[in-house]
Amino acid sequence: MNKKAIVFLLVFAMVIVACGDTTDDAAVEATEEEHDHEGESTLEQVQERGFLKCGVSTGATGFTEVGDDGSYSGFDVDYCYAVAAAIFGDYSKVEFKQLTSAERFTALSAGEIDVLIRNTTWTQSRDTELGNDFGPTTYYDGQQLMGRVADGLSNSSTVADIDGLRVCTNAGTTTEKNITERVGLAGGTIQLITVEAFSEAIDKFIAGECDIVTTDGSGLVGRRAVNDALNDWVIFPTSPISKEPLGPTYRSNDSQWADIINWTVYATIIADEYGVTAANVDSADLEANPELGRLFGANDGELQTKMGLSADAYYNVIKQVGNYDEIFSRNLNPLGLFREGGDNDRWVDGGLIYAPPAR
Amino acid sequence: MMNIDLKKQTRVIKENLFSSPVSTLLTFLTSYIMISFFRGMFGFATAPDKDWLSVLNNMQLYMVQAYPESDFIRIWICVGLGFIFSGLSVGLWETGEKTSLSKLCLTFSKIIFGIIFLTLIAPTTSVIVSTATGIREQVDVFSYAERIPLLSILLGLLVVFFLLSKINLNFNKSFLVSIYLFVPIVFLWLMKIPTIKLDAENQRVFPDPLMPIANSTKIPWTLIWMSFVAAYLIGIYFKNKKQFKTAVSISWVLLPLLIFSWIFKKPLIDLNELIRNDIPVFIGFLLVGVLTIYFINNKIVEKFYGYYLGLLVIVTLASLFLKVILLVKAGLLLLLLFSVIIPAVSTSAKGKRSLTIVWIVSLTTTAFLLEGGTSTTQIVVPGSSIFGGFSLTWLLAIFGTYVSFPLGVLLALGRNSSLPIIKGVCTGIIELVRSVPYITWLFFASVTMAVFLPDGVEFNLIVRVLIVTAFFSGAYFAENIRGGLQSIPKGQFEAADAIGMNTVQKTSLIVLPQALRAIVPTLVSSIITGFKDSSLVTIIGLFDFLTIGRMVIGNQSIPINFIGHDRENLLFIALVYWIFTFTLSRRSMKFEKRLGLGER
Repeated sequence: MNKKAIVFLLVFAMVIVACGDTTDDAAVEATEEEHDHEGESTLEQVQERGFLKCGVSTGATGFTEVGDDGSYSGFDVDYCYAVAAAIFGDYSKVEFKQLTSAERFTALSAGEIDVLIRNTTWTQSRDTELGNDFGPTTYYDGQQLMGRVADGLSNSSTVADIDGLRVCTNAGTTTEKNITERVGLAGGTIQLITVEAFSEAIDKFIAGECDIVTTDGSGLVGRRAVNDALNDWVIFPTSPISKEPLGPTYRSNDSQWADIINWTVYATIIADEYGVTAANVDSADLEANPELGRLFGANDGELQTKMGLSADAYYNVIKQVGNYDEIFSRNLNPLGLFREGGDNDRWVDGGLIYAPPAR
Repeated sequence: MMNIDLKKQTRVIKENLFSSPVSTLLTFLTSYIMISFFRGMFGFATAPDKDWLSVLNNMQLYMVQAYPESDFIRIWICVGLGFIFSGLSVGLWETGEKTSLSKLCLTFSKIIFGIIFLTLIAPTTSVIVSTATGIREQVDVFSYAERIPLLSILLGLLVVFFLLSKINLNFNKSFLVSIYLFVPIVFLWLMKIPTIKLDAENQRVFPDPLMPIANSTKIPWTLIWMSFVAAYLIGIYFKNKKQFKTAVSISWVLLPLLIFSWIFKKPLIDLNELIRNDIPVFIGFLLVGVLTIYFINNKIVEKFYGYYLGLLVIVTLASLFLKVILLVKAGLLLLLLFSVIIPAVSTSAKGKRSLTIVWIVSLTTTAFLLEGGTSTTQIVVPGSSIFGGFSLTWLLAIFGTYVSFPLGVLLALGRNSSLPIIKGVCTGIIELVRSVPYITWLFFASVTMAVFLPDGVEFNLIVRVLIVTAFFSGAYFAENIRGGLQSIPKGQFEAADAIGMNTVQKTSLIVLPQALRAIVPTLVSSIITGFKDSSLVTIIGLFDFLTIGRMVIGNQSIPINFIGHDRENLLFIALVYWIFTFTLSRRSMKFEKRLGLGER
């Protein structure tokens, strides 16, 4: 064996390795491409993958929280669980993607996630320009302000009363636009201090670097309770300065997928209307309440199977996650947010939570 | 040693601190700033509205985020292996520097003096708290009465160190590492920190205030420390074995691969298949390789070796297209490469022996990694990334360096190459990567890279980030290395040419060793930067160490309410970052000294 032959063989081996690799990869791609048809619907993709990819917030008290063992909980998280329960009959088949507000819509349209449930406000521009569709509102929020009693503010104060004060809020959200717009209309001027995260705004407020802090009402209530300042801080005005309907968001032009998400939300609301909870769903009288029977798939579940789901899809949602009231009280009552008398009460009690009939 | 010559000390102080009016002023000004900074920080940390339990209670989240508890053994094995190899390395490369007990005691006495001084100047904060009965009362935090026990303990320690310093005892400096590591282990066993539990009404109860911290981590850490010390002693014993040193160096390179194939994946081992397929295949390859090495000089074998190689090439080629288990394909490739070099190396008994070792080790490693890496099952976590918290920070820092360093070397060599296409491509990559900010590349990884990948090929977000990070720090490494390459005098190249070296020999034996040696300080600072920059991944929703403290813990309301407690977490994070970067930079300073940089 001379040296030249060795070198030749070495090079030859390399070439083979290189060729082998590429052909191998190509084969893999080809087989994978077979699975990945062009017009495949979101439901088919999700079912093939075996789990749901749900976009949630990086951290919003009560809505998306990460526990000390890395587990997820919260109002939005529970709706992700609900969708997974409807599709797979197993609520735990979710992969959470925690998204910042900057990348949430890009992630949705790029197919990184299947559904975005990230306390996202439904607005006209987001609905029409970004290629998204919004599902039913799960939580009616509204922007409010929080100030100190010491500054002469009270529950009945209005936006006009904050003329000349320093206002802290987080940048790049609708909150910032709303407050500037409203103060401008009221003829006042404020000094706006914007920070990256809302917790920084609260820190500045506590430190006295600003007189007013503003964000969605749900965020303010919890902070006031935690800081032991129920008597010192006030939240006003009583009717919020903006409408913030929060709910699930999905890509446009896939009505089957949209129906699944929407009816998952409606199922939790209908179950709440009938008082059916996770605990008593097995003993619910489906004969006396035919609507519940249709929803839970008692009579061969035609409504669900037509959507591409199993007949007992919504039974699983209620059994494994709970109805709207349970989801709400579990996550938001500890923060001091209650349904009674608010926008999130049942429609029969004067609230806005309403679902079309299951027929 | 401890006898303080008062006169001499006064003179030293006078000369160093108060030599002129201006320096006197500067001394006072700086001390004032330092003291008020300390008082401010201390007052912040001890204020009663700070909930330091928010840090302790979330320690698991900080370290591994959502990694399932049932699989913690994998992480412990991984950490343990890291410590064992560190122990071996410390032992093998120990410098033999000696230090004495009295010297050590002097250092500790100085530290205790400092702590006593800080205790004395620390502020007492008076705060008004409302008690359970609703009465508001003023409470003094860290009052002078509370300091007396602490001060007496410190003074007692001072006396102990003074007495210890009288003992004449010398020991190896590197041995100190195991003592330093011993201290936290002792603390783990002794320290008692209350664990939080909630009662039926969601009120906090502290069940057992004397419960030792983190029961689950105590035993693994102790075991790890013991293996570290054992590895250190083994390392000392084999200090003069060159092969052992090489083996440890190679293991350091292989360790991260192990993490990816056995810690990230969760291989399900089918014993039946293992015995029927994998083990016979493995033994077959092993035997063929060893036999070839030992009988290569046989006349008959030599005669037909060319045909054998040709056959092997064809079989390997065919196996790539056939449906055989991956181990066969990989084994054939490895055997082919080995068979090509066997005639050149396996000429003496010594060459045969070392080649056999290399063959066995590389085949075993390949088989082992393949077994883990090809597994389709992996650990399932609720979030999108299996790594989070401190493990993610480390992963990005280590893999960033691990992958980007060789990449950087290649790019730098390519840029200096005389072949125009290679030069152009390498320059293009370096300039393109360097001219775009890291955050932009992260966004690219998060949302745009999927568009560039072929249909159906999907990478995990972490893998995408690792690819981007490898290229980004690789480009910076390349520029650093290019600087090193240019520092080599032209005479070296000419000398290499004069003794008839070819380009590969010239690069690997003359140029690179000198170039890399010259840029060690820059490389270490790049690694530290990588470690800190890893916190930027928060922008694409990955949860590194910083993000957990900043965004997650401050939002926890269930089961324990920590809303708004993000500032104490930030302080804790700053401390941890400081400890690691400070240690790294200190180590690198020592390393530079040993290489003799800046002295020649």
